[in-house]
Amino acid sequence: MLTELNRILGLAQKLGAEYADARYVSITQQPVSVSTDGAPQLSVSKSVGLGLRVLVDGAWGFSATPYLDPRSLEKTADEAVKIAYASALCKKGDGVSLEPLNPKRARWHTPCKVDPLGVKPEDKIEFLTDVIESAKKVPGVFRATASIMSYREEKEFMSTDGRQVEQTIVHSGGSVSVMARGDGGVQSRSFADYAGGGFEFVESLDLKTKAETLAGEAVSLLKAPACPQGVTDVVMGGSMVALQIHESCGHPIELDRVVGQEATFAGTSFLTPDKKGSFRYGSPCVNIVADATAPGGLGSFGYDDEGIEARRAEIVREGIFTDYLTSRELAPLFDQESNGTMRAVGWENIPLIRMTNINLEPGDWTLDEIIKDTKEGIFVDTPKSWSLDDKRLNFHFGQEIAYEIKDGSLGRMLKNPAYTGMTPEFWNSCDAVAGEDEWRIWGTPGCAKGEPVQVINVGHGAAPARFRKVKAGVGA
Amino acid sequence: MIGKDDALKVLEKVLSFCKNSEASVTLTASDLSLTRYYDNHIHQNLRRHNETLTVRVVKGKSTGIATTNLLDDGSLRWAVQSAQENMEVSGEEEDFPGLPKPEPIGAVNGYVPATANLKPRDRAEACAVVIGAAKAKGLQASGTYSSVVTELAVASSTGVRAYNVSTEAFFRTIIQNGDNTGYADRLTRDVREIDAGSVAEEALARATMYPEAIDLPPGRYDTIFEEYALADLIRFLGMLAFGADAKQQGRSFMARRMGEKVMGDNVTIWDDGLDPASLAVPFDEEGMPKKKVVFIEDGVAKGVVYDSRTAAKDGVKSTGHAAARRGARFGPRPSHMFLKPGDSTRDQMVRSTKRGLLVTRFHYTHCPEPMNVVATGTTRDGTFLIEDGRIAARVKNLRFTESMIEAFSRIEAISKTARITRDWWSTFDSVLPCVKIQDFSFTGSTMF
Repeated sequence: MLTELNRILGLAQKLGAEYADARYVSITQQPVSVSTDGAPQLSVSKSVGLGLRVLVDGAWGFSATPYLDPRSLEKTADEAVKIAYASALCKKGDGVSLEPLNPKRARWHTPCKVDPLGVKPEDKIEFLTDVIESAKKVPGVFRATASIMSYREEKEFMSTDGRQVEQTIVHSGGSVSVMARGDGGVQSRSFADYAGGGFEFVESLDLKTKAETLAGEAVSLLKAPACPQGVTDVVMGGSMVALQIHESCGHPIELDRVVGQEATFAGTSFLTPDKKGSFRYGSPCVNIVADATAPGGLGSFGYDDEGIEARRAEIVREGIFTDYLTSRELAPLFDQESNGTMRAVGWENIPLIRMTNINLEPGDWTLDEIIKDTKEGIFVDTPKSWSLDDKRLNFHFGQEIAYEIKDGSLGRMLKNPAYTGMTPEFWNSCDAVAGEDEWRIWGTPGCAKGEPVQVINVGHGAAPARFRKVKAGVGA
Repeated sequence: MIGKDDALKVLEKVLSFCKNSEASVTLTASDLSLTRYYDNHIHQNLRRHNETLTVRVVKGKSTGIATTNLLDDGSLRWAVQSAQENMEVSGEEEDFPGLPKPEPIGAVNGYVPATANLKPRDRAEACAVVIGAAKAKGLQASGTYSSVVTELAVASSTGVRAYNVSTEAFFRTIIQNGDNTGYADRLTRDVREIDAGSVAEEALARATMYPEAIDLPPGRYDTIFEEYALADLIRFLGMLAFGADAKQQGRSFMARRMGEKVMGDNVTIWDDGLDPASLAVPFDEEGMPKKKVVFIEDGVAKGVVYDSRTAAKDGVKSTGHAAARRGARFGPRPSHMFLKPGDSTRDQMVRSTKRGLLVTRFHYTHCPEPMNVVATGTTRDGTFLIEDGRIAARVKNLRFTESMIEAFSRIEAISKTARITRDWWSTFDSVLPCVKIQDFSFTGSTMF
C-alpha cells in the first residue's frame, strides 16, 4: 500500500498541507470462546482502511476511508485538508509545531513462534473445552467460560518528513472465568492475560490448572464473610498491582491529559508540569518505567504512529516523578523530545498519547516474605471494579477475592473486598515489592481514551506488593 | 450514506452467497464528524466513514460468525466462507432457537438532513461561540461537537428485512475556572436545536458561582442530582439488572425479586425504543421490533428485555434488544431508558433542602457489587452545598458508594420535566428528570 500512501500524501500537500502522515491498517481478529452455557462461539473479523492526518496553517485535520481507489483517496485528502482549515478558525497563536524528524525507513514484527491465527479453530475449541471441563469438576460451579483472542495488525505508515514504517503486530491471550451461585448470591473468579506474541503464550498460561483453582475459590467465596471495613495493610497480587499502575500512574503521566486535551471525557491529571523532577509520587521502592521495547509486552511495538522508534523512558525513579508520555506536538512545549507513545486504534482513528508497557520494576522481596512480614492486613487479587476522579487522585478498586493476614499467615477467605485512597499517599505507603521471579508483564486489553473512544492494548509489569494503612472495604 | 436500496441489495447478495445454510446479515454504516477543543482552541478534528457487515450462518443448531468492513464481492464471499468454516467446527447449541422470523416494525423518523449536512466550519463556529464566552471571562473552554449518520440494515433467510437511518448531534463543554469546572451538553437528532450560546451560559454559571470550594466531610446527605448525574446512576440498573440473561443466570436482583416492591412508590422505569423523546431506533440487530418494556412500575419489579435467544428460554417473544454483533453471550440490554417524571422542579428541591448537596455529574463510575447494584464514582464539574433552601457553597468533589436499589427507594422528589441525557461513558442515553434522594452515601473526598 506504499503507493497509495505516497499518493495521498502528495494530494494533501498539493491541497496545502504543510505536514501529513498516512496509515494503512489491516486488522484480523479471531475470538473463540467455550462455555458451559451453550456451544462454542467462534468468529473472525477483518477491518481494513486508511487514515490521513494533515497540518494546514498550523491546525489539524483527519479523514479516514476503507476505500483505496484513486477517487476515494482524493476525497479523503480533500476532506482532511478542509477540516484542518476549519480547525484553523480556532487555533492558538501560530498553531501546531512538530518536533523535527530525520527521514527513515524501517520494518518491525512482533517476535512470535506460533502464528495465533494459524492455529486451527477446532484445536482452540478443544483446548478451551479442556479448560472448562477442569472447572466443571468442582461441585457448585454454575457457569464457566474460557476464551482465546488472536490478533494481527498489518500497518504501513508514511509521513511527509520521510518516515516510512511497516509493522506486523501480533497479540495473543486467554482467559477463564467461573461463576458459583448459592444462598450467598453470586461469586465469580477469573484469570486473563494477553501478550505481544503467538499462541505459545496462550499455552504457557496453564488455564486448565487455573480453572480448577478458580472454581474452588468461587464456590468458597459464597460462604466467605464480607471484607470488613477499616484501615489495614493491603498486600496485592500482581494482576491488581498492574491495574493500580494503569489507573493511578499510566493515565496521569499522559501529557495530553496534563495539558487538558482530554478534559471533557477522560479527565486531566494531578501530575502538573511543576511536579516533574521533584514530586514525591511514591516511596523509594517505587520505580516505574514506560517501556515499549519490553519483550512480550502487550504495549510493545517497533514505532509509534508518528514514526518514532519505541523506547524505554524512566517515569518514577526511587519515588520521584521524572517524566511523561509525550508526542511530537507536546514534547517540544516542555523542551523535550517525543518518547514515542502516539498510537491510534485501527485506521479510522487519530493517534493519541497512549500507555505502552508501564512497569513497576521488581523489588527484592517474595510474596511469602511480604505476608510473613505483615502482622495484620488483607491479601487481595484480581480486579473487579475500578473508579478514579478526573485528576486520578481519589480511587476505589474492588477485587474478586481476599484473604485475611494475621501474624504473618494467610487466614480466612473474604468476599467483596475493596480498597480506596489517594494516589500519592497510596504509592508512598508502598514498602515492599516482590522480585523478578514473581514479576511479569500483565496484558491489559481494554484501555479506553479519546472521543470517539479508542480501546487499545497496553501492558503493565508488576509483582505482588504491600501498601501500609489503606482504607479497605467497599463502603470505606 | 449507503441508502436503503443499496444496503438491502448488499444484504441480499450476502444471503445469496450462503448456500446450504440459513443466515442473518447485519450492516451498520457510520459517518462520524467530530471536533474537539481545549484551552480555547481546536486540537482534534476528524471525519470517518466505516461500514461493518456481520454474517451469521446457521445449520441446525450450529452457528458461525464473521465480520468485514469491506463490501466488495470478494470481501463478502470471504465473510460468508469464514462464517461457514466457523460453523462447521463450533458444534451444536442445544438451546439455540433458530433465527427469528420477521415481525412488523414500527416507523421512526430519526433522520434530520441539517444534522447530516453539518460542515466542519459549522462545528468550528459553534465551538468559537463557547470559546469566546470563556475568553471573555478569562477562562478556558474544552469540549466536543460531533454529528453522526448511522444506518442499520438487517436481512435474514427467514424473511427479515429492516433498514433505518438516523442522525445524532452531541455538543458539550467544560469551562475551567482554575480547579473549578462547569459542564453543559446537548444531545439531539436535530443539530438546529443546539444553541452554543446557551451551552456556554449553563457551563459558565457552574464554573463561576461560589469560586471558593470548601471541604465537606464524607457522610450521608440529601442530594439533588442533575439529569447528567442521574444518567450514570440509572445506567447500572440497565447494564446489570434489566437484561434477561442476568435474570436467567441469577446474577441480578431481578431474578430473586420479580413482582416484589424493590424501590420507592414514585419509581417507574421503562425502555421504549420507539419514543421520539429518545434517540429511537425501531428494531434491534436481529431485525426484531423494539417493544416497550417496563422494568419497575410504582416501585415493583416487572420485567426485563429479551433477544431471541433469551426469549426462547423463557417462552416469550423477543423485545427487540439484541446486540447480535457482540455475540449471544453479551445478552440483551436496554437502550432507551426512561424514568417517570414527578411533580417537582429542581428549584423546589433546592428550596426544600435544609442541608444537602447538588451534584452536576459523575466521573468514571463503576460497580463493585453487581448483585446489589452497589456503584461508586466521584462528582465533577460542579458540586454544591445547599443550606436552608439555598445553594450556599461550592464543594470539593466527593466519592459516593451506594446501592442503586436502596438509593432509588429513597427518592424524595422528581422533576416534572425530563430530557435526553448521556452518561459519562457515553454508553447509555436515557430520558431523565432530575431527582432528590435522601441520605445519599458519600464515602470519600478529593482535593479539588
